[in-house]
Amino acid sequence: MVEDTVRAEAQKQCERKLTPRKGWLTHMLVASLALIGLTTAVVPLVVRYLGRYTGYPLAVIFLVAAGLLLTQAPEVMRGETVVQSWQWVAAFDVQFTLRLNGLSLLFAMLVLGVGALVLSYAPQYLDPHYEVRRLYTVLTLFAAAMLGIVLAGDLVLLLVFWEITSVSSFLLVAGAGTAGARPAIRALVVTGFGGLALFGAVVLLAVKTQTTDIATVFALAPERLSVTDLSIVAALIILAAFTKSAQLPFHFWLPGAMVAVTPVSAYLHAATLVKAGIYLLLLMSPLFLDFPAWNITLLVFGLATALFGAFEALRQRDLKALLAYSTVSQLGTMVALVGVGTSAALAAAALLVVAHALFKATLFMLVGIVDREAGSRDLDELSGLWRVMPITAGLTGLAAMSMAGVPPLVGFVAKEEAFYSFLDVPQSSWAQGQQWAGIAAAVIAVLGASLTFAYSARIFAGAFFGPLKQRNLYEPSWLFLAPAVVPAVAGLVLGIAPGLLNSIIDRTTVDVGFTMVGSDLSLWHGVSIALGLSAIAISLGLLLHFRRRWVIRWLGEEPPVASGPLIFDRIWFALVRTGSWVGRSAHSASVGVHLFGVGVLIVALTILGFAIIPGATDGLAPVIPDSMQLVDVAILALLVPTVAFLARARTTITALVLAGFVGLILSVWLLLLGAPDVALTLLLVEFLTVVVAAPVLARLPRHRDVGRPTMAAVAAVVVGVSSGLAVWAFTGRRGPSELSAYFLTEAEELTGGTNVVNTILVDFRGLDTLGEITVLFAAALGLLAATAVGVRARKDAVTEVLGRGEQTVLRVGARIVIPLLLIATVVLFWRGHDEPGGGFIAGLTAGSAVAVAMIAGIRIALPSSGAMLAAGLGTALVSALIGPLTGGAVLAPVKVDVPIVGSLTSSLIFDLGVLLIVVGLVRVALERLDGMHIDAGNDTDDGNDTDDGNDLEWDGQDRSSAVDVTEARS
Amino acid sequence: MTDVSFLTTWALPAVFGVPLFAAVATFILGARWASRLIGLLVPIVVFVIAVLLIVATADGSVVVAQIAGWPGGVSIAFVGDLFSALMLAATSVMVFTCLVFAYSAGLGMDRWFIPSVSIMTAGVYGAFVTGDLFNLFVMVEVALLPSYVLMSRSGVLTALRSARLYLIVNLTASTLFLAGLGVVYGVTGTVNLAALAGLGIFPVVGIAVGVIMMAMMLKAALVPTHSWLPATYPYTSPAVTALFSGLLTKIGAYAIVRIISIVYEPGQLITVIVIAVCVASMIVGVLGALGEGTIRGGLTFQMVSGMGYILVGVVLAGAVGMAAVVFYLIHHMIVMTSLFLTGGSVEHEERTGVVGRLGGLAKAHPIAAFAFFLSAASLVGLPPFSGFWAKLGVLTAAVDAGSALVVVVVLLVSVGTLMSMLKLGTGVFWGLPKGAREDEDTPSDVTVVADTTAGRAGATGTAIDIAAAVEAPPMTRWRPFLVFPGLALALLSLGIGIFPEWLLDLTQTAGESLNDTAGYVTAVLGGGS
Amino acid sequence: MTLAIAVAVLAAVGTYLIVRGGAVRLILGFILLGHAANLIIIAAGGTFRREAPLVDGGVVLETMADPLPQAFVLTAIVITFGVTVYLLSLVARTAKRSARNAGEGGAHD
Repeated sequence: MVEDTVRAEAQKQCERKLTPRKGWLTHMLVASLALIGLTTAVVPLVVRYLGRYTGYPLAVIFLVAAGLLLTQAPEVMRGETVVQSWQWVAAFDVQFTLRLNGLSLLFAMLVLGVGALVLSYAPQYLDPHYEVRRLYTVLTLFAAAMLGIVLAGDLVLLLVFWEITSVSSFLLVAGAGTAGARPAIRALVVTGFGGLALFGAVVLLAVKTQTTDIATVFALAPERLSVTDLSIVAALIILAAFTKSAQLPFHFWLPGAMVAVTPVSAYLHAATLVKAGIYLLLLMSPLFLDFPAWNITLLVFGLATALFGAFEALRQRDLKALLAYSTVSQLGTMVALVGVGTSAALAAAALLVVAHALFKATLFMLVGIVDREAGSRDLDELSGLWRVMPITAGLTGLAAMSMAGVPPLVGFVAKEEAFYSFLDVPQSSWAQGQQWAGIAAAVIAVLGASLTFAYSARIFAGAFFGPLKQRNLYEPSWLFLAPAVVPAVAGLVLGIAPGLLNSIIDRTTVDVGFTMVGSDLSLWHGVSIALGLSAIAISLGLLLHFRRRWVIRWLGEEPPVASGPLIFDRIWFALVRTGSWVGRSAHSASVGVHLFGVGVLIVALTILGFAIIPGATDGLAPVIPDSMQLVDVAILALLVPTVAFLARARTTITALVLAGFVGLILSVWLLLLGAPDVALTLLLVEFLTVVVAAPVLARLPRHRDVGRPTMAAVAAVVVGVSSGLAVWAFTGRRGPSELSAYFLTEAEELTGGTNVVNTILVDFRGLDTLGEITVLFAAALGLLAATAVGVRARKDAVTEVLGRGEQTVLRVGARIVIPLLLIATVVLFWRGHDEPGGGFIAGLTAGSAVAVAMIAGIRIALPSSGAMLAAGLGTALVSALIGPLTGGAVLAPVKVDVPIVGSLTSSLIFDLGVLLIVVGLVRVALERLDGMHIDAGNDTDDGNDTDDGNDLEWDGQDRSSAVDVTEARS
Repeated sequence: MTDVSFLTTWALPAVFGVPLFAAVATFILGARWASRLIGLLVPIVVFVIAVLLIVATADGSVVVAQIAGWPGGVSIAFVGDLFSALMLAATSVMVFTCLVFAYSAGLGMDRWFIPSVSIMTAGVYGAFVTGDLFNLFVMVEVALLPSYVLMSRSGVLTALRSARLYLIVNLTASTLFLAGLGVVYGVTGTVNLAALAGLGIFPVVGIAVGVIMMAMMLKAALVPTHSWLPATYPYTSPAVTALFSGLLTKIGAYAIVRIISIVYEPGQLITVIVIAVCVASMIVGVLGALGEGTIRGGLTFQMVSGMGYILVGVVLAGAVGMAAVVFYLIHHMIVMTSLFLTGGSVEHEERTGVVGRLGGLAKAHPIAAFAFFLSAASLVGLPPFSGFWAKLGVLTAAVDAGSALVVVVVLLVSVGTLMSMLKLGTGVFWGLPKGAREDEDTPSDVTVVADTTAGRAGATGTAIDIAAAVEAPPMTRWRPFLVFPGLALALLSLGIGIFPEWLLDLTQTAGESLNDTAGYVTAVLGGGS
Repeated sequence: MTLAIAVAVLAAVGTYLIVRGGAVRLILGFILLGHAANLIIIAAGGTFRREAPLVDGGVVLETMADPLPQAFVLTAIVITFGVTVYLLSLVARTAKRSARNAGEGGAHD
C-alpha cells in the first residue's frame, strides 16, 4: 500500500532525529510536565497552610521542571528531537507524544522561567484577604497546559492543552469578580472560537493524513492535502492563532482581560498565553513553505495590528491598558515576521518573543508595584516617583528602553533583526522580488517602532519625572522588587551579548523548516540600513513623545477602546434576541402551534411519496378485487354524515352520543370484516368510554376555541387527504401475508385454541398483551394518584340527570342486566381461547356490569380496585414465568391435562390477569373520575397531591368500597 | 459465541420483567423505605444484566431471546446487541442517579412515584431490546403512561397544562406510529424489524416506514417538531425532568438509529433528509437555548440541539458515523442528565429557575457550581471531557464523508453552545446574589461593564474586594445528595474524557454492527432460543 | 377504497377537533384519530377475506381474514382506552384548576 510506505518513510525520518533512549534521562519531558500537572492537584492543600506565600514553593517547582528539561538541552542543541510517546486513544490513533526541539525548548523556558518569576512576585503583590486558592491552582494548571502545548508532538494532544489554556485564562480573569464577568466571557468566546477553528484544522489534517503525529503529518501533508484542503487548514490555523494572540480584529479581548490581577496579566496576557498563537504559527509554517496566501495574510494583518496597537497604546492613561495595547502591537510584529517567512525573519521572531517576554513581564510587575505603592495606575495621577522609589524607576527605565529598542538592550537587537527581515521581504520565496513590498513593510515597521519608543518614553517620564504629587511613598521591599530585577537585567545582558542566543535561535529556525542561518546576533553590526532605520525610529519617537498632544488631537481624544467589546455585545444580544424569537413557539399554549411541525412533515412525506420519488406510486401492485363490497358503501353512507355532524356538534352531550354512534357503526363494520373480537372490544370500550367521560365532560365549562377554524380546516384536509392516500396506496394490494397463513394453519395445533386472534394475544404475542395491561395498570395508578374519591358525587350525578321514576326503572333494569353481564363474563372468559371472547372482552363485560351498577346506584361488594390491579399484573407476570421454570421460554404457554376439564394452558392464567386488570381500571375510572366535577368545593386534590390517594390502602377496602359494602348489606 | 442460554432465558426478558415486578411490589408496599430500596435495586439489576450483555456482545455478536419461544419472525424477539446493551447500561445509570436525587428531593415519600418510575423504565428498557415494531409501540406506551402520571404529579396549574400538552403531543406521536405500523404491515406483511432489513430500497416500504420515522422524530423533538419539548419539560419537578431527559427522548433517538440502520440502505435522499433535519435541530436548538431565560428552559433547547449532533452521524461515513452516533448518544445522556440534576438542585434550593432572579450562587452552592462547570464544558466539547471525543467523532465522520456543511455547522453551533452555557452559568453562579442584581441581559448594563473594564481596565485591586464583599451570600441549607448525583455524572464524563479508549472501542464495534446488520438479521430470523 | 375514504374522513374530523381546541373536542378528536389508525391496520390485513379467523371448523386460507392485524387493533384499542381515561382526569383537573384560578382572578395562559 502506497500510503503505508510513505508513512513508514516519514516515521523513519523522525526516527532518525530521535535520540537513542538512555535510561532515566529519557523520561525528563514527561517528568517535567507531570511535575507541574501533579502540583496543580496539591496546590489547594498547600494554600491552606501557606496562604499567598504558596507562590514561593511553586516558583521553586517551576525552576526544577525547567531544570529537568534542560537536561535534554545538549541533545536538542545537537539538532536532535527528543521524543517520548505512549499510546493514548487508539480509536483515533492518538498518541500521547511529547517532543522537545529548539522551538519547544525556547518556549518551554519562557513558560517556566517567567512563571517562576511571576509566582515569586505574586505573594508580595496580593493583598492578604485575596482568594489565592483559585489563583494559584489555576495558574499552575495553566502553566502545565502551556507547557503541554509547546511539548505536544501530537495534534490532538496540542488541541487538548490549547483548550485548557483558554479555560484557565477564563477562570483567572473571572477571578476579578463581577467586573471580570463580561471580559472573561468575551475572552473565552473569542479564544474558544479560535480553539474550534483549530479543532477543525486538526480533524482535517488527521483525516487526510490518517495520523495525528505532528512529524508524520508534516511528512505526509504535501501529497495528501489538495490545495483546497491546505488553504482551509491555513485559514483555520490563522483564525486560531489570531484569536489567541489578539490580532485584529480579535484583539479586543486582551485589554479587557486586564481586569485580572497583575500577576495574571504579566504571566498569561503578556509573556505566555498570547504567545501560544505565535507558537502555533511557527509550528505550522513548514506546512506552508510555498503558500503565498499564508505569508501575505500574516504580514498584512500583523503589521496592521502592530500599528493599531501602538497608536492605541500611545492614547492610554491607565498603565495596564497601555501595556496591553503595546502587547497587541508587539504580537502583531511577531506575526508579521512569521509571515515574511525567511529564516532570518523567523529567527527575528523568535528573538522578539524572548525580548518581549523579558521586558513586558518586568514592566507589568513594576506597574503592579507602583499600583500597590502609589495606589494608582493612571498616568495623570502619577508623577515624580523617581524621587521616592529610584530603584523601581531605574528598572522601569531599563525595561522601557528595551521595549523602545534602545541600545544596548535586547529589544534593540530584536528590532534591528526585524528591520533586516522586513527589508529582505523581496528576497523571500513568495514576494518574487517586489521591491516596494520590502520598503512598505520597513516603513510601517519603523513607524511602529517610533510609536513604541514614544509610549515607552511616556511610561517612564509620565510616572517618574515631574513634581512628586503624593506624600509618604517609599521604595518597596527587595522581596517585592527582586522578581522584576531578574528579567530587566537579563534584558541588558542579552543586549550586550546577544550571541548567547545564537544556537537556540538557529535550532528554532531549523525546527520550523528552514535552513540554518548561522545567525550571529550582535549589538553592533556596523553602519547599516537597519541602524539608520533605528536612528529614524528613535528620533521620530522622541518627536512623537514630546508632541504627543498633536498625535492625540489627530487621533481624537476619546479612545474608541470599548468599540470591540461593544460590537461583541451587540452580536451577543442580537443572537439572544434571535434566540428568543426562534424559541417563542415553546411558550405557546396552543396545541396547533406545537403540532404544526407534524403537519409539515406529513405534507412533506406525502409529496415525497406521491410526487418526487420515482416509482413510489406507479410501481404499486393493483388493488385486489372485491376488497370493496356493497355493504361497505352502506356503512360509509352512515359513517360520513355522523362524523360530519360530530364536527359541528354544539353541545357536549350530542357530541358524546354521536361519538358513541360512530363507535357502534365501526364495530358493526368490523364484524362484517371478519373481526368479531375487535368488534366486541370496540363496542364495550365505546360504551365504557362514554359512561366514564359523560360525567366529566358534561361538567366542563364551555371552552373558548383556541385554534382558528380556518387553521383547523386546513390541517383537517391535509391529514385527511394524506391518510386516505396512504390507505389507498399501501393496503389491499398484496395477498395473504406468510404470517397470517402461519397463524391460521398452525394456531390450533400449537396452542390448542381455535380463536386465532386470541391465541395471538395470549400465546404468540403475549408480550404485547403484557405491555398493554401494564399500560392499563399505569393508567389506573395515575387515576388513583391524581383524583379524589367521588362516591357522593356519583349519587349527585344520577339524581341530577334522572327523575325519581326513571331511577327506579333504571334500578330494576340494572338488577336484570348485571347478572346477565356477569354470566357473560364467565362464558366469554372461558371460551375465549376458542370462540370470540377472552380476558379483555370478559374484563370489559364485567366492567360494564360494574358501570351499570354504579349508574343505577347499586352496590356490588368487591375487593378494592387497588387489590385487583396488583393481583392482575402479579398473576400475569407470574404466569409468564411458568415457561422458563418448565424449561421453556418466557411467556411460553404450558399445557396441562386436567381430568374433567380437559387440557388447560398456562395462558389461561395469564388471561385471568388481563381480566382482573381491565376490571380494576374500569372500576377506578368510574369511582375516581366522577369526583372531579368542576364546581366541587370539596376537592381533595389540592396543591401538589402528595398525600391524597394514600387513603387507599391496597389490602384494606378503600373508602368507596367500604361504603359499597355497608350499603350492599343493608 | 459463548453459552448465552442464561441471557436468552432469563436476563434479557428480565430487563422488562424485573421493573414490572418491582412496580407491583412497590405499589403494594406503598411509601415505605422498602419501596425506595426496591426502586434503587431495579436499575442495579438491569445494569448488571447490561454488563453481562456487553461482555457477551463485545465481539459484535447478537444475543436473541424469542419471547414465548416461537420460531424467529413469528415470536417477538428481544435482541441484545452491543448498541442495545450500551443503551441499557447508560440508562440504568441515569435512572439510579435520578432516583437518588429524587429521594433527597422528597419524591420518595410519594407512594405513586416509585411504581410509576419502575413501569416507565420497564418500557424504556423494553424499547431498547425489542426487535418488533409493534412491540416497540407497546413498549413506548408502557413508558409513556407513567410519564404522564409523573408529569402531572404536582397539581399546580402550569404543571397540569404542560402535562396535558405533553400527553397530547405523545398521543399524536402514538397515533402516527400506529398508522405507520398499519401501512408497513400493509406493504410488507410483517412488523418484525429483521424481516424488514434492507427493504427501504423499495420506495413504497421507504415511505411506509417513513410514517413511523415521523412519529419518532416527534418523540425525539427534532426540528420541526421540537417546540413541545421546551414547552413541557421545564414545568415539572427537576427530578422528573432529569429522568425524562435521560430516558424518553432517547427512545426516539434510539429507534431512529435502529430503524434507519436496518431498514434503509445509505442513499442520496435519506442522507439529504437526515442532514437537513439534524443541522436545523442543532441551529434552532442552540439559538433557542441562548434566548431562554430559565435554567431548564435553556437546557431543554440544548437537548434539541444535541439530538442533531447525535443523529447526524447516522448517514455519515458508514461505521465511523454510526460509532460517533452511539458515543455521542451515551455522552449526551450523561451530560444532559448531570446538567438537569445540578440545575435542579439549585432550583430546588432557591425555589426558582429564572436566571434573572438568580445569581452569585457559586458561594452558596460550590459543588453545584463545580459540577455545572464540568458538565457545561463537556457539553461544549472542551477537552478533557467526553464531549471532546464525541465531537471529534462526529467531525471525523463528517470530514470523512466530505460534508463541509456539517463540519461548519457543528463548529459554529459549538460556539453558540459555549455562549449559552456561559449565559446560564454566569447568570446563575456569578454576579451579585438575587435581588441586589438587575437583569444580566440589558445592553445598557453591559455597555457600562464594557466601558469600565475594557476601556479603563478597571481598578483591579479594589474590584476584587468589592466583588468579594458583595458575592458572599447567605448560606442556604444544603442537602449533599441533591448535588452529588449531578457531580457524579459530571465526573463520569470527565473520566470518560481522560480514558475514552474502552468506550470508544465498544462504540466502534457497535457502530460496525449497526452499519452491517447481517448479524442482527440472521440472529433474529435464523436462530431461536 | 371505502376504507380509505372512511379513514380520510375520520382522520380529517379528528384533526379538526383537536386543532380547534377545547377539552371535549380534544378527547373526541383523539378517539376519532384512534378509529382511523385502527381502520388503517385492519385495511392492512386486506379486506378481500372477511371470514372470522375461527379455525374450529377447519382452515380456509382463501376466505379467512388476517388475524394478526386484528390482534394489533385489539391491543391498540385497549391502550387507547387507558390513555383516554387518564387524559380525561387530566382535562378535568386542568379545567378545575383554571376555574378556581379564574375565580381568584389569577387566570393566566
